[in-house]
Parts: sequence; C-alpha cells; structure tokens
Amino acid sequence: MNKSAVGLLAAVMLVAPEEARQIVEEAQRRSRAASERYEGILEVTDARGRVNAKRWVYHRLGSHGDSKAVIRFVAPPEVKGVALLIINHPDRASDQWMWTPATQRERRIALQDRSTRFFGTDFSFEDLEERDVNQYDYRMLGEEAVEGAPCWKIESRPKQTRASQYTRSVLWIRKENYTFARIENYVREELVRRAAYREVHNVQGIWTPRLIEMHDLRRNSRTLLKLEKLQYNLAMKDSDFTLQALRREF
Amino acid sequence: MLLRLLSWPYLRKHRLRWALTLAGIALGVAVLVAMRVANRTVLAGFQKTVDGIAGKTQLQVHAGDFGFPEEVLERVQAVPEVQAAAPVIEAALDTGLPGQGRLLVLAVDMTGDRSLRDYDLESGEDAVVDDPLVFLAQPDSLIITREFAARNHLGPGSRVPLGTTQGIKWFTVRGIMRSGGLSQAFGGNLAIMDIYAAQFVLGRGRRFDRVDVRLKPGVSLAEGQAALKRRLGPGFEVEPPAARGRHLEAVLRSFSITLNLTSLFAMLVGIFIIYNSFAIAVTQRRAEIGVLRALGATRGQIRAMFLTESAAAGALGSLIGAAAGLGMARLIARYIGRLSAEAYGVADSAEQVSPEPSLLALAVALGITISMIAAWIPAANAARVDPVQALQKGKYQVLSVGENRLRRRLAWAAAVFAAGCLIWGRSLWVFYTGYVLFVLAVLLLAPTLALWLARMLRPVLAWIRPVEGALAADSLIQAPRRTSATVSALMLSLSMVIGFGGVARSIYVSLTEWVDTALNPDLFVTPNAELANRTYVVSEEVGRAIEKLPGVREVQLVRSARIPYRGTPVLLVAVEARKLARTVRPRMLEGDARQMYARVAAGQGAIVSDSFAELRGLHVGDVVELPAPGGILRLPIAGITRDYSDQQGSVLIDRTLYRHWWQDDSVNVIRVYLREGASLEEVKRRILERCAGQRLFVLTNAEVRRYILRLTDQWFGMTYNQIAVAILVAVLGIVNTLTVSITDRRRELGVLQAVGGLRNQVRHTIWMEAVAIGVIGLVLGAAVGAASLYYSLEMTRLDVAGLRLDYVFPAPMVLWLAPLILGAALVAALWPGEAAVRGSLVEALEYE
Repeated sequence: MNKSAVGLLAAVMLVAPEEARQIVEEAQRRSRAASERYEGILEVTDARGRVNAKRWVYHRLGSHGDSKAVIRFVAPPEVKGVALLIINHPDRASDQWMWTPATQRERRIALQDRSTRFFGTDFSFEDLEERDVNQYDYRMLGEEAVEGAPCWKIESRPKQTRASQYTRSVLWIRKENYTFARIENYVREELVRRAAYREVHNVQGIWTPRLIEMHDLRRNSRTLLKLEKLQYNLAMKDSDFTLQALRREF
Repeated sequence: MLLRLLSWPYLRKHRLRWALTLAGIALGVAVLVAMRVANRTVLAGFQKTVDGIAGKTQLQVHAGDFGFPEEVLERVQAVPEVQAAAPVIEAALDTGLPGQGRLLVLAVDMTGDRSLRDYDLESGEDAVVDDPLVFLAQPDSLIITREFAARNHLGPGSRVPLGTTQGIKWFTVRGIMRSGGLSQAFGGNLAIMDIYAAQFVLGRGRRFDRVDVRLKPGVSLAEGQAALKRRLGPGFEVEPPAARGRHLEAVLRSFSITLNLTSLFAMLVGIFIIYNSFAIAVTQRRAEIGVLRALGATRGQIRAMFLTESAAAGALGSLIGAAAGLGMARLIARYIGRLSAEAYGVADSAEQVSPEPSLLALAVALGITISMIAAWIPAANAARVDPVQALQKGKYQVLSVGENRLRRRLAWAAAVFAAGCLIWGRSLWVFYTGYVLFVLAVLLLAPTLALWLARMLRPVLAWIRPVEGALAADSLIQAPRRTSATVSALMLSLSMVIGFGGVARSIYVSLTEWVDTALNPDLFVTPNAELANRTYVVSEEVGRAIEKLPGVREVQLVRSARIPYRGTPVLLVAVEARKLARTVRPRMLEGDARQMYARVAAGQGAIVSDSFAELRGLHVGDVVELPAPGGILRLPIAGITRDYSDQQGSVLIDRTLYRHWWQDDSVNVIRVYLREGASLEEVKRRILERCAGQRLFVLTNAEVRRYILRLTDQWFGMTYNQIAVAILVAVLGIVNTLTVSITDRRRELGVLQAVGGLRNQVRHTIWMEAVAIGVIGLVLGAAVGAASLYYSLEMTRLDVAGLRLDYVFPAPMVLWLAPLILGAALVAALWPGEAAVRGSLVEALEYE
C-alpha cells in the first residue's frame, strides 16, 4: 500500500464520520415539527400467518430528543383506552408509563424493559423512542439503493451514555428527501430487527413514510404500521402529556 | 466355609426368628430412610418451586409477608448495581376446580418481568400469550401451565374460577406456558397474573410482596446485597431466592427433630432385637461351637462367624428397610406437604420422592454396623465358649459372670452424670448428653429392673394359675438375659410413645387454655377460608361496617403476617391493644397484664409469646427490633404471654404503630363480640348480607376452636404412627423372645408334659409368660416414659419451639396402651404356644 493510499484512507476515516452525522442531522432537521398526530393501524402477522390488528391514535408534542408522546389504543374493544405516555429526553433514555383503564392503574415501564416487545408487536419499546442524533456515533458505510431509491448507508452505534438493546444499527437514508428507507438493528453481530419505511408522502412540507414494516428476524413475524390522517404542527398542550392526562380520555 | 456349613443350616431351621431379626433392622433403617427422604423431597419440591419462580433472579427484596408500598420498586431500580428489578405478588389461591386445590399465582408486571423470567413468549412457533396487550388490558387474564391445562382440559379462552377478595371470580386463560422451567414450579399448579390486577383482586392496595432483582454483569451477590441494603435501609431483607428454602427448613425443623428421634429409637429397638436373636443363637449353638473349638477353630474364627452372620443379616435387613423407607417416605412427604401447605401455603405437592444414593448407601452401612454392634457381645460370648463344658450334655456354662455387677455400676454412673447434666447443664449439648446418658442408664438397668418386677409378679401369676403362673414367672426369673432385650425394646418404644404423646397432650391442654382465653370473640370474620392462611386481606372499612350492625357490641381489627426477625420468620400481630385489654386475659409468663396492655396501646411496647422469648433468651424490658418498610421499629418487651399463634413465636403490637410503620391499613381477621342476647346466627347472616360480594367467611368461636384443634391433631398425627411402631416392636420382640424361650425350654416343657402336664397347661404357661413380659415392659415403659416426657418437654422448650408446656402425664394414653400391648403380647404368644405343645416329646426328652 503506497503513501497516497494510506493518506486517502486516513482522510476518509476522519471525514466520513462527520459526513455521516451531518446526513443524519439533516434528516432529523427535515422531519422536525412542533407536534404530530396520526391514526395508526397496526397489523401483526406471526410466523404462522395469523394476523392481529389494532388501531391507535398518536399525539406528539416537541421533536427529536425533546418531545412527549401519547399513544392511545382505540380498537379492538378489549384494549380500548390503554395508553402509553413517552417522555423523551435529549441526554438519556425516555421515561414511559402505561395506563390500563380496567384496573385504573398506570405502570412505569422501567429502563431495563425497553428491549421487550411493544405489546405483542415486532417493535420494542425502545424502537418507539425518537432517535436524537447526539446519542449515537456515526460511520459512513457507503451508498446503496433500497427498492430503487439511492441511499446513504450509515452505521450508528449508541454512545456510552445511552442504554440500548442494540449493539449497532445500519441506516439507509434516501438521498432524494432525507427520509429513512431502512434500518437494520444488530445485537452483537446478529441482525435482529429490520424496519422498512415506505409510501413516502409530503405532508405539510415534511416528507414522511406512511407505512413502516418491522420484521423481527428471530421470531420471523412482521408488523405493519400504517399512518393515517397524519397532521403536523397542531396546537397541543403540555398538560395533555402527563400521567393525569393519561387517565382521562382525549 | 463356616458360614455355608453351619450358619446357613441354622438359619434355615430358624427362619421365623431370622425373619423377625431382619424386621428389627429393617424397621430402624426404614424410619431413618423415610424421614430423610421425605424431608428432602418436601424441601426439594419447595426449592424447585422457588427456583422455577425465581428464574434469573439473583436477589429478592422483601419485608415479610406484609409487603411494602410500590415506591420501593423505584428505589430498587435506582441502585446502580441493579440491572433489572421486577415487582412480584405471590399467593396460593383456591381454584374452585375439582381436585385441584390451590393454584400458586405469581403476579408480575409482564411489561418488564421477562428480564427475569422466561415465559417462553418469544417462541416463534408457539407463542404462549395470545395477545400481550389484551393480557394487560383485561384484569381477568391468566397464563397457566401446560400441565395444569391438560389436567383440567383448559385451552386459550377457557374460564377458571379463583377465590378473590370479591368472592369467586372467573378468569380467562390468555396464555399457556410450555413445559419446563417456570411451569415446573408448584407441581405445575402455577398461574401468571398481571400484578396490578392481583393487587385489585387480592385487596392488596398499592403494595408488592417483593422485588426480584438481577444484578449487572460483574457485580457479585455480596456487593449487590450490600448496595441494596444501603439504599433501602434495615427494614428490608435482601436475600438470594434459595433463602426461602432455609425458612421452610426452619419451619419443618420441629417435625425433623421428632422424626429423627423416632428413627433413633427405632434403631435402638432394632439393636435389642438383634442382640436378643444372637444371644439366643449362641445359647442354642453352644454344642456346635464346642465341636468347632474341639476341631481347632480359633476364638477369632468363632467371633468372625457370628459377626459375619450379623453383617449379612444387617445388609439384608437394611436393603428391605431402605425399600420400605422409600415407600413410607412418599406417605410422610405427602403428609408434611399437606401440613405445610395448610399452615403456610408454601409447600409443593410432593408426589415424587427423590432418593439420594448416598443416603441409601449410608442407611445400609448403618444397618450393617448397628447389626454388628448388637451382635458383638453374643459373638464375644460365643468365642469364650469352653469346648469341654459345651460338649457335656445337660451342662451349661454361665457366660455372664460379673457382667451384672459391672452393668449396674455403669448404670448408676450414667444416671449420676445424667442428673448432673440436668441440674448444672446450661447448653443444648449438655442437655442432649444428659438425655443420652439417661437412656443408657435405664437400658443398663433394664435386666435388673426386669428381674425385680418378674419376682414381684410371681405371686400374682401363681395366684391366677398356681402351676402355669409359677412356671411362667420362674422362666422369666431364671433367664433374665433372655427377656431383658425384649423388655428393653418394649420399654424404649413405650417411653418414646409416652414422651411424644405426653408432649402432644401437654400442648393440647395448654392450647385449649389459650383458645379459651385469647380466642374468645363470638365470631371471627376473615377473607381466608382458614385462619392460618393470610393470603387475602380486606379494608378496615369492612370492620367499621360490621361494628354498626345490630347485635354487635365490639369489633377488633387484626392484621397478622410473618416478618423476618434475625433471619427467622416470626408472626407479627397488629391489634387494637386498648380493646384487647378489655376482652383477653392472657396467661402471663413475665410482666403485669394491665401495665403491659397500657404500654402496648400507647405504642411503647410489644407483647411477645413465650416461644419467641425462650428461643431468643429475651425478657421483659429487652428491646425487639422489628424490620419494617419504614425502618427498624424498636420496642421494649412489655410482657411475655403464652401464645400459640405461630411456631416460631409471635410479636404483638398496636395497630396504630403498624399503620404508621408498614403504611398499611388492611385487616385479615375481624374479631366480633356480640351484645348480650344477640343471636349468633342472626348476626352472622347480617354480616354476610352487609358484605355481600366480598370474599368473607364468618366463623363461630366453636368452628375456630375445632379448626385449631384439628390442626394440632394433624401436627401430632405422627404420634399415632409412633404408637403403631411401638406396638409392632412389642409384637416382634415378644414373638422373638417366646420362640426362643420355647426352643430353649423344650426339655423343661417336655418334662412337664411327660409327668402329666396338659397341653393347655403348657399353652397357658407360654401365654402367661408373654403377658408378664408385656406387663414388665409396660411398667418400665411408663416409668421411663414419665422421665422421657420431662426431657421431651424440655427439648420442646429449649430446642424445638421455645414453648413452656405444663407437665401433663398422658394417663389416658397409658390406660389405652395397656390392653393393646398386653393383647399384642397374648397374640404374639399363640404361635409359640402351639409350637410348644405340638413339638416331638421324644426329641425334647432326648438328653434325659
């Protein structure tokens, strides 16, 4: 290996992380909104092909790393009223509480439990948290097309301050609109979950995938999340994102 | 060679005696094996349940059975050394399904508990929970084990009735756990419930029973334990799950001690039976031994021959005993399991005994050793046989010259030391040494005492039947060695029965007195079907509502549960002391009742039971430190009373203190006193009507009394088994002795018949001899039993339960035993009697 090649490699190693981080920052900047609301349809297809469907309403106030969100299930009747409050923090993992109307009780979902599945779906509780760019280190892996769309392929690793079930993730970000096309999550060297982001639409100036498919490779089951009636920047109150608010219907 | 030529033919000729000898060894070994295996089985079953439930849990945080407020969970989770912490409520609930008894419900928070326990949820092919969100959203959700589902033909969506504080509620099976791991706990009678649903249906409020903890990698148990204790304070126990097994072990200890003693006594009795058989064999084979010695056999060879015979008998008897012991173990394990489950709600259903090869090997080795020890003296006597005297027809060699004197001296020495141990002994070790010396003394004195009693009986027997009676008595007087082993065995067995029976009776008498004084309300209202079970609690509002009902004079609220006290679970009883002072006059062992209640009501003292004080050497004025979620509650002892609420002891405090320190206002017993003239049935009906829809049982005083006495009877059920063993020993010993006696006296009996004695006279002689042995054994057994009872009561006080019991000699039991033992003796004499009259007269008179 000659000197110029070594120099080029060193330059890529020094520059690439910064470039990767800038791309993720830009993706985050472009998706930023003061608030968000959508009605989600959740379809879990297990390894035997059985489909389980649920609907929820999602409200979010704030954005990446400094936001609050409430997910409230509306169907089927057995789960109607069950709600989840997520308080994201920029410097640490989020706080989460769940409300079950039948027992009139909220329960705190402890930090240790983020790796568990989100109520039988293929998302984990951690997957529902918003990623803040500052909680990860990035490395550019190259470029690769996903479903025909040219993408940057970037590796992210959680910083030591962030507790995560994943050792690393590989992100594909569309060059065209800086939206995520795919995320693959690894535990050590094993690929455990793959999220595909499809049906990208421009909603109030924000490019947003309306269909997210999460594939749990260990269970071989898939969860589809369709976002309907998506709206950004609605007027929302802080007081709607508290435990007290969780106990009452929206 | 000697064995094949001499021992085998002799053994074949005396099959019955050898069968009886083997039975003697087998009995001792069987009891030993049964007790050990049963105890091990129950503890192993319990440990399996604990391990299954614990999963990856390394430490458990608890504060006794009262639980603690939910906030503690966050304090545990905040400890840096903790990786995962999950709350748990554990309760054995009535299933309401036929034949299924209780279901151990493990209530957890499924959103996070998987960090600690594997529910097989992520099995791609066979997800056990249909829909985790529905499971959490619906409080009637239940996950059951595949075994329980199969036993009851249940599947997803099936409904299972469970007893809750709101009465019987139907739960829906929303998941089935696959076999193995967690589902093996409690014999498969395990169900998982959402913890917040459990709080609701069990009336637990916002409380958890415990928090299960997994530590971060690299953190040792000791480090984790220390960090948690630092964070939580001294009111919490932080222990590995295995510690729960140690608590059960402590609870079962008294049972183990009783069974250990039974085993020891059975072994001792076995020694006497073996000794007897070999002593007789040596007597009968004198001529044979003489021939062998004349032909050049050395003394060592003769001794070795008998010892080898005894070792072979020991090996065979031990193997039979080990096999029988395993069978008995299953019954005992089931018995202990049922008792523990009833009283503590914790034991596993002990269906499979778990024999330990090393224990079986040890039992066989012990059987052989004991057999050889028992045969040592007869073998030594055989070695001392003089060939010249042995070969002279009609000549007998006295082999025990000087033995009696030495034995008596040793007996007195042992008695003096035993008395010394009793008077000056301060430690348990000295106490038990004294007990052993006492047993040794009576055993050494037994032949002498038996001889004295036989002499005393002679005129009585002669008065009943002049010829047969005199012959029977003379037979006993002339051959005390022949009967002394049987008498000793009988004496030991009976003394054991009287000792244990006496303790049972003393407890029964004391318990009745306690029930009369302490449990005197007209009605007891409780959410638990049995008073000893404290799974369900109700709000104190229930008590207040009952107090307003017509016919009710007063209501006293009680909350009781076990808390750890210096590593042992003790019962903490929170009462309204001021009210209790008006209604209960306890038997005071230390302190003044009036002052005691005044101090307790003011929150300035605690009342402790005699067992609590005795086991820990505490007196009035000493301070007890009670761990509570709010810290350590330090209270001086205001009085020591007789109280049998709990085997490990109880501490009674005022309810106000309890509410403050445990932050709990629940109630598990409501004591109801009626107005004069109020109808019991009418008030009971009103209570049930007023509290309709709640799980409440209204028990009358008589029902509670019956329940407590039934529980006591069950604990002492083993005494009845010991009586059976004693009777078996009596029959074995007497049959053995008489069989030998007849063989030994063939000539004498032959002469009797030859000079015109009737067959009936011979029969009567044998029968009277048997009954006389029974009488001697009975008298000595009663006398030794009276002393043994004293030792048993002291043992109960010092070592087992700390209970100070009144000495009550079980006279009714002895009166009941007398005809039983004498009848058994008579029955045992039937066959030997017939053998004596049907033997060949010519053969019998051969030597004449």
